[in-house]
Amino acid sequence: MTALPRPPVPSRRALLRAGLAGAGLLTLAGCRSAVEHARNAAAAVDAGSPRRGGVLTVAAGIDVTPSLLFAVSANTLVQRLVFNTLTRYDDRLQPQPELATSWETSPDGLSVTLRLREDVLFHSGRRFTAEDVVFAVRNLQNPARSAQLRSTAAAVTDFRRNGDFELTLVLAHPVSNLFDLFEFMIVPDRETVEEAVAGTRLIGTGPFALTDRKPGSSLSFARNEHYWNPGRPYLDGVEVRIIPQAESLLSSLRTGQTHLSYAVRGKDAAALRTDPRFRIKQYDTGAGAHYIGVDVTAEHVRDKRVRQAIAWAVDRDRLVQQALGGYGTASSVPWPRSSPAYTEAGATHYRHDPERARALLREAGAERITLPFAHSNEPGATAIAQILQYDLQQVGIETVLQPADSPTMQKQLISQSMPALWTLSHGFAQLQPATLAVSAYPFNEARNSSRYSSPGYTDVVQRAWNRSAGDSPEARALHQQITDLLLEEEFVIDLAIAGLVEVTGQRARGVTLNKFGYLNLDDAYLTA
Amino acid sequence: MRTFLLKRLPSGLLVLVLASFLVFLILRLIPGDPATTLAGPDATPAAVEAIRGQLGLDQPLFGQYLSWLGHLLSGDLGPSYAIGGQVADLIGNGLGATAQLTLGALLLVVLIALPLAVAGATTRRRPVAAAVQAVTTGILAVPPFVTGVLLVLLFAVSFELLPAGGHESLLAEPDLAVQYLAMPAICLALPSAAVLARYLKDGIERALAEDYVRTATALGVSRRRIVWRHALPNALPSAVTVLGLQIGHLVAGAVLVERIFAWPGLGQLIEQGVLRRDYPVVQDLLLLVVAVYVAVQLLTDLAYTWLDPRIRWE
Amino acid sequence: MTTATLPLTSAAPRGRYRSALLSGRGLTGLVLVGTVALAGLLAPLLTGTDPNAQSALALAGPSAAHPFGTDDLGRDLYSRVLHGIGTDLALIVTAVPVGALLGCSAALLAATSRWADLAVQRAFDLLLAFPGLILALAVTAVLGPGRWPVVIVVALAEIPGFGRQLRAGILVQREREYALAARVGGASRARVLLRHVLPNAVDPLIVQTAVALSLGVFIEGAMSFLGLGVRPPEPTLGSILSQSVAYLATDPTFAAAPLAATTALVLGFTLIAEALNRGIRR
Repeated sequence: MTALPRPPVPSRRALLRAGLAGAGLLTLAGCRSAVEHARNAAAAVDAGSPRRGGVLTVAAGIDVTPSLLFAVSANTLVQRLVFNTLTRYDDRLQPQPELATSWETSPDGLSVTLRLREDVLFHSGRRFTAEDVVFAVRNLQNPARSAQLRSTAAAVTDFRRNGDFELTLVLAHPVSNLFDLFEFMIVPDRETVEEAVAGTRLIGTGPFALTDRKPGSSLSFARNEHYWNPGRPYLDGVEVRIIPQAESLLSSLRTGQTHLSYAVRGKDAAALRTDPRFRIKQYDTGAGAHYIGVDVTAEHVRDKRVRQAIAWAVDRDRLVQQALGGYGTASSVPWPRSSPAYTEAGATHYRHDPERARALLREAGAERITLPFAHSNEPGATAIAQILQYDLQQVGIETVLQPADSPTMQKQLISQSMPALWTLSHGFAQLQPATLAVSAYPFNEARNSSRYSSPGYTDVVQRAWNRSAGDSPEARALHQQITDLLLEEEFVIDLAIAGLVEVTGQRARGVTLNKFGYLNLDDAYLTA
Repeated sequence: MRTFLLKRLPSGLLVLVLASFLVFLILRLIPGDPATTLAGPDATPAAVEAIRGQLGLDQPLFGQYLSWLGHLLSGDLGPSYAIGGQVADLIGNGLGATAQLTLGALLLVVLIALPLAVAGATTRRRPVAAAVQAVTTGILAVPPFVTGVLLVLLFAVSFELLPAGGHESLLAEPDLAVQYLAMPAICLALPSAAVLARYLKDGIERALAEDYVRTATALGVSRRRIVWRHALPNALPSAVTVLGLQIGHLVAGAVLVERIFAWPGLGQLIEQGVLRRDYPVVQDLLLLVVAVYVAVQLLTDLAYTWLDPRIRWE
Repeated sequence: MTTATLPLTSAAPRGRYRSALLSGRGLTGLVLVGTVALAGLLAPLLTGTDPNAQSALALAGPSAAHPFGTDDLGRDLYSRVLHGIGTDLALIVTAVPVGALLGCSAALLAATSRWADLAVQRAFDLLLAFPGLILALAVTAVLGPGRWPVVIVVALAEIPGFGRQLRAGILVQREREYALAARVGGASRARVLLRHVLPNAVDPLIVQTAVALSLGVFIEGAMSFLGLGVRPPEPTLGSILSQSVAYLATDPTFAAAPLAATTALVLGFTLIAEALNRGIRR
């Protein structure tokens, strides 16, 4: 028989004590509510028109990538808070003054003279001058900055300074998207730019200065007391909270922990539409377009009739409803409504017509084919890929889905090693059409993931780009030519323009975005 | 005891060296490339190549491995690739938050499992036993990502009792910090508590069937005393093994739970690091996780031998 | 003399297992697992609907045509859940035995010598210390998405659990009187281990199997949640459930069916294990 073992154990009293300590913590918790605390972080201000004070909290889905500060990526919440741009488009795409007060293009379109504000200080206290604009342009010419509008910046070949606050940019050729560049290019402090891309310090001229960054968690900004725009900003500070899980992000808005977000999924926005506590706004620049990319050198799809068949096979309206929650527009072209190239006829060129798709496939001798189809493994992209797979199956195209995470997709995209089909989204179609064709990788005439090139495409793109900005019958004709060529060749099969959805709680007012989606809080304020 | 440690430490170090090699290799097996992530979606191949050169990714693999180990040994973890800032700072910040979460969860695991196991093993009333059974199984059947979202919907959105997510420092604002901690800690603790409760209950039941319990009962020792002083202590060693295993699950589960509750810990950092192919962050962090784990195992084994005198330190 | 002191022998395990399974607890478990498993196996007979057929009718509630409603892409949830059960069962029924076999072999190996013990233990440490996310990512990245990465990740995750349980059991049993007596009686080390210690150390493994089976369901779910699961659109309980999480607030019926199936499966496994466990101890 076994002897009675009595190993040493924590006595019951010790356990009890531990339990009481735990309960004590919970009781302590009872005296102050974290829910209330978070809500009141924005100091109470009275109702009514613009008021000073308060901290606006923004919910973001992903953290910033410091190395991509000068590119359009996840950083759009930060770029216009800490920095300024030279000009700013209004809703009719007319440039308005920001750091540049006036501008004049020479008649031959080969130089542009800018007058600059004289009362602008960087957060470090240093005065902003023409030299900073020279630096900003040269900075974007550096390939390591990965700026999408690098080709436009590279068209600037020389700078002629006329005092500290006047500058002439000399161009290699007339450029139609120069003001796209001025909308895009933030002006950094040239003394700390390396620290900025390393993510340790951000110095700009903008309304807010970065005070703290907790990678993956939050970014805190404090009001710039010496901002050049008098009386602005109204807010004492801004806090960006990174909440990767979409359901949690929605809950943070619902509980009033955050006031504003651009990362709410369409289907969630649809659920908030009837909630009086929220206002939902859509920008006509859109949040990029979902597309099917095609490797035009791959078997079967090298025939453009097969690509057109795919374009006819997709039920774009169902995709908008089921994958985007209705926040988006079915479209056969990359252009959202804000683009000068947008036409109703172009957007609705391809409708859901499985019969026509099957006929084209028969004609091309590509019935019952199987194609690999890559997509991002995030839930939204996976839903889109499954919808597309089903629609293609209905016309006799079997696809093998290949989910991968975004770095993998990106590497395949840049190195032109995508499979026959893939689905992703692209931007840069919201402004001058030339910007899309010389800046966005899927459409780049010189080198793109589809391995598509043709003298006709290069020619029409170069003609649309190498001209001065401005609306004219010739410009419109060129845009139409680009649209027609894209619709005919379908190396990028556009599906839908994603809605750029802004969800604000009742308290936040006066929030705007520029045409590249940079968050502008100059005029924003919080009501009580 | 000293010989025990002397024997265990070298093998622990060997595990670390092996782990460092595996970590390094696995990261490079995963497709994608830090340079393309850094270069952004519309980069030119030239820009990608330039960045690869800058990061030293064009060097031979073994050289990269040695240079990483060299940095580690010199105590300088260096800068991160894509997340921004120094690796040491990133890990330092995340470590505090994760330690809070894991220790909070561990406390809850024990607090939940112990009463459940004792009640389940000793009750003579069937409804109580059935209830314990249902609770432990129910918890195991619902995955944490469902529990987490349900908890948020219930306590944050409907009742407005607790914040939906986020984090406060336990040192600066203890009363608020506990409220931020409550839901993620419960969410993380529940599955482990259910597993532990089941093992503990089993152990107690088995111990209660042993001869010495019958003897003790015959001698007139009270049932409560038998359970707490004899059966439970006998069930503890195997429960400690399970608890040691569960610490591994807690750290792994932290990735899911930190994501749901926007908790700025190491789980989020590792996910961010992997998603951006930030090699230095992921390598150092994984190695740290392995080191902590090895240390915990050492402590578990010590506790095991200490709790069960039948096992000797050989 | 030596056999007389053995608390259990392997005299009639089959009979004991059978009577254990026929107890109230065991029967309930069998019925639960049996029903769910049968529903999964007979999915093609029970529903004529293609689990991957989509329609414009998304997020519909239960109706005659769709007993469990439809998902966000308008697919029939009844059919998806049934087929999902089949996939899940196939995955864990492959992965758990593999993991158990590898884990137990390692534990036996560990019992042979002190060095082997050290090596095996450190190998377990290494396996356990690696966060599952990284393991899943690496395996999926190397093999590509599909069923096999899930099976491998589940099996790898199960190895240390089985191995450590068995090792702990062997350690305890080896020091018991009967084992010492057997050794004194002149039995070889291997014989004592295999004939006397092992049969007495397997008890915890039965509980471990129940936990392992439910852990398998859980790992499959977590991998789906992180986008590393089986290749879409193939349904699994985990993928349906993680899909439904986005609609917990607005369309809770979406989550009901996959959650019920998961719960029934896990509850069933647990009840069976407990019944067996009791039967063995009796």
